[in-house]
Amino acid sequence: MQTFYLALALFLLLTLGAGMWRVLRGPTAADRMLAAQLFGTTAVAVLLLLAQASGNAALRDVALVFALLAAVTAVAFVQRAWPKQKQEQEQPQETERDVD
Amino acid sequence: METVMVAWMFDSLLGLGLLWLAWQSLACSDLFKAIVLFIAFGLLMALAWVRLEAPDVALAEAAIGAGLTGALLMVALAQLQSIETNGDAAVATVKKGHCIRPLQWLLLIALSLMATGLGYVIISFPAHVPGLSTAVATHLEASGVSNPVTAVLLNFRGYDTLLELVVLLLALLGVWSLGGTVPQQTTTPAPLVLEALTRLLVPMLILTAAYLLWVGAHAPGGAFQAGSVLAAAGVLLLLIGRHPRAALMALPLRLILVLGPATFVAMAVVTMLIEGALLKFPPEHAGKLILLLETTAMLSIGATLAALFLGGRRHTDKEHS
Repeated sequence: MQTFYLALALFLLLTLGAGMWRVLRGPTAADRMLAAQLFGTTAVAVLLLLAQASGNAALRDVALVFALLAAVTAVAFVQRAWPKQKQEQEQPQETERDVD
Repeated sequence: METVMVAWMFDSLLGLGLLWLAWQSLACSDLFKAIVLFIAFGLLMALAWVRLEAPDVALAEAAIGAGLTGALLMVALAQLQSIETNGDAAVATVKKGHCIRPLQWLLLIALSLMATGLGYVIISFPAHVPGLSTAVATHLEASGVSNPVTAVLLNFRGYDTLLELVVLLLALLGVWSLGGTVPQQTTTPAPLVLEALTRLLVPMLILTAAYLLWVGAHAPGGAFQAGSVLAAAGVLLLLIGRHPRAALMALPLRLILVLGPATFVAMAVVTMLIEGALLKFPPEHAGKLILLLETTAMLSIGATLAALFLGGRRHTDKEHS
């Protein structure tokens, strides 16, 4: 059973690679941010699997903290970074980056 | 055998991923992308600490590295961009960053020398050192807590934690001494969904902080982790535009900021007078004293981190509110 949990964790780690492609390609900041949020969710899943595999209940606390704080990063993005991006879309430097 | 194999694959993938992410987030020219890569780095780093069987560090990394730092960097970037669009010439020239070639080579040589030195030191270590874990285990009974990490941080080497608290306070003083910041325009009320989310999340965050503080006595947790979760609640409230009243920002905030370090110093003086040694707790009261220290430290850490998020001193608060 331990092998099964670890193999699942390994698979989830591999899916992070797929998400990394989205972070690198973009094209907008929201794509990158959502990929980071997905990473957070995946990390929570990996932690729960590792907690089950190793029998260390403290890892569930780590997963809990991850889950709670990922929301704060998302709010920081929506409230501060994203409105700015939208306003600046008229400006040449921003549009240049968005067209990938 | 299969388990070892899968674990080995997991660990090597994790290690390679960490190196790659670190390189990418440093080398990337798009600052926002670098922040996202840094958040991903924090996540993998926490997993690495878990694999190294250091859940205490993983918890701290999860709370500070992946959670708060991401939000802090993102808000810093947003402010930087708003300064740039306002046409601040000084910032623009700094951003272009004229690279000085000789300096780069000097840095490269210095860093290589340091890496060689560190490598040599690590190689010259004896292969098996007992470390201090047995010494900690034998004295754990007298520490008042059953989690060895908390016992070391708050009892055996309490002065380390005291100095860490002072470092945090100094960091805030450094930020404050840079002067006031441009207040963010938060005239528009937060959207309904965000408001509802905050109402749900803030009590959860406070509850989790209290839980982490309490659980620190016998399992991974403690003042720093709890404090940063508490700070996340403050950051969330600041983000949706719930700024504390100006009256609270003056004296009450400062009192909370120094509460932790001051309690620690007071405790150090009292133990020195009674027990004859710095931060040497009588074993029968150690548990309660550690809880008191951790509670005050948590409040101070939470307030300090939230105040760091707010940035410089708000001269503008008077006309703002």
